[in-house]
Amino acid sequence: MTVSRKIILAASLGIILTYCAVAILAPMIAPYDPHAITGAPLSPPDREHPLGTNDLAQDIFSRLIWGTRATLLIGFLGAAIAVVLGTGIGIVSGYYGGMIDEAIMRIIDVAMTIPIFPLLLILTTFFRPGIYVIAVLMGLLGSFQGVRLIRSQVLSLAVADFVTGTKALGARDSYIMGRHILPNVLPLAGVKFVFSAQHFMLIGIGLGFLGIGDPSVVDWGQMINRASQNGAIILGLWWWLIPPGLAVTLISLALAWLGYACEDEINPRLRLLRV
Amino acid sequence: MKGVYIIKRLLTSLAAFCISVTIMFILLRLMPGDYITMYLETIYRYAPPDVVEAFNHVYSFDRPVLEQYLLYLMDAFQGNWGYSLIYKVPVLTVIGEKLVWTMVILVPATALAILAGIGIGAYSGWKRGSKVDIALMNGMIFVRAIPSYWLALMILIIFGYYLNLFPLGGYVDTSALTSGIDPLDVAKHAVLPILTLFLFSVTGTYYLMRNSMLMTAGEDYIITARAKGLDEMTILRKHAMKNAMLPMVTMVTLDCAGMITGSIFVETIFSWPGLGMLTYKALLFRDLPLLQGILLIDTLLIIVANITADLIYPLIDPRVQVGDGV
Repeated sequence: MTVSRKIILAASLGIILTYCAVAILAPMIAPYDPHAITGAPLSPPDREHPLGTNDLAQDIFSRLIWGTRATLLIGFLGAAIAVVLGTGIGIVSGYYGGMIDEAIMRIIDVAMTIPIFPLLLILTTFFRPGIYVIAVLMGLLGSFQGVRLIRSQVLSLAVADFVTGTKALGARDSYIMGRHILPNVLPLAGVKFVFSAQHFMLIGIGLGFLGIGDPSVVDWGQMINRASQNGAIILGLWWWLIPPGLAVTLISLALAWLGYACEDEINPRLRLLRV
Repeated sequence: MKGVYIIKRLLTSLAAFCISVTIMFILLRLMPGDYITMYLETIYRYAPPDVVEAFNHVYSFDRPVLEQYLLYLMDAFQGNWGYSLIYKVPVLTVIGEKLVWTMVILVPATALAILAGIGIGAYSGWKRGSKVDIALMNGMIFVRAIPSYWLALMILIIFGYYLNLFPLGGYVDTSALTSGIDPLDVAKHAVLPILTLFLFSVTGTYYLMRNSMLMTAGEDYIITARAKGLDEMTILRKHAMKNAMLPMVTMVTLDCAGMITGSIFVETIFSWPGLGMLTYKALLFRDLPLLQGILLIDTLLIIVANITADLIYPLIDPRVQVGDGV
């Protein structure tokens, strides 16, 4: 790993940890209640309001801080569900092969054809679910790709010598899958987790942007939506529109860089050929 | 083998379509209250029982659930997708009209993204590890990490508002009211949406092409070509590019769902009157029949892209028989 890569990796890890800290400490850091009316509406940044106020006179800086919670929750919870499901089903499918594998793969073939985002839009419009339900839904709908990825890795592991050897010693299938196959696919699952988290965060904020969010939860998507719908562009109110967008872009970038750096490490062919 | 594969493929697609329809059917059953009573009450504050009964009879809501389901499925296959609540015309008519406008920006954006992605990706992968490659790679990661809605807003602000080079939204100028739609005017309005969709899509193509090139560059036939004394450009164009491009066909399949999602945001932000903005409007007005129509059309688009990619693959790579590579 070259020096510049190390710097990028450290920077992205730093950003992700900072976001986590901000999310956890939100009530302590935020100067105001994110829903409270705190002065004049649409006032530009000053000492009292570091990022000014929105049209409802809510402090934008405080809303930005509270919004971290929704973003990280959707991203990480969704990704955790997708990766656990994907890895579990992928291992079983690849290890047993035969009819089980065939059945799972056919189901996935069909499921992959259904456009996930429009489906999610419909589900969220008509059931108005809370943020947890949205994260779980995303995790369930987004697990199919992971199954394919993990399965293709397990297919070659299942016929590897060490697995055949362990089988000859009389080990149970569940033991082999848990102790020998799982550790070998964990790095791949880790990379998948990072990319899924990035993807789900963007989708979650996108839902808020389209106006389908839980109005009681502060999220960056709804902030961008409100600003752009109420003339922040035409009026040149940059402090209203720009901060939530930059916040999303920064965490997305950090996760992407982390993901590519990890992928580099675990994919020897890419690494050998790269430098 | 070939015939069996195509049949299998079509059956899978059919199943996917049926599942989409079934999901919609189940969602409709799960909705609280009965549809007509709620609808009438929102307009008249009163639902006459005989009207409700007549409505339920016409739409077969008084029959057993299984029969309703079969009727629903048959209607879906016959293109009878109900009426849009906001437009008061058949759902398929609205969708057909808007789909054309989506294609106006989607087709050029995708075509440009594929061409540029293949070109830049091939170059980047060929020069692996060089300064240019690393700069390109990091630049692409950067662009890819920007959410499509944010990218669209920024492009709108920079090119539309501050530089004032292009219109802020819509698809025609107000002059179209008197002099009709001018293709040049439409093109001018389409530039920014196309640019956004292009940037959104090119990064994926680039990444795949670069990876594919990294794999190809290590193959024996490249070493052979070099041993023959061919110059680098010829090896790149004639030997490496041709082989590295093959996985790109599958890319179209993967990209299709992403482009549909991307176009929802891009069209909404640029007020482009296509399927994406229609989705947003349908969401805003809770137009259920229209939304389910859009979900079905999206499913169909992905199915068609899948099948096309599958059938094209063996044509461009004679080593692959239909059904084994992809």
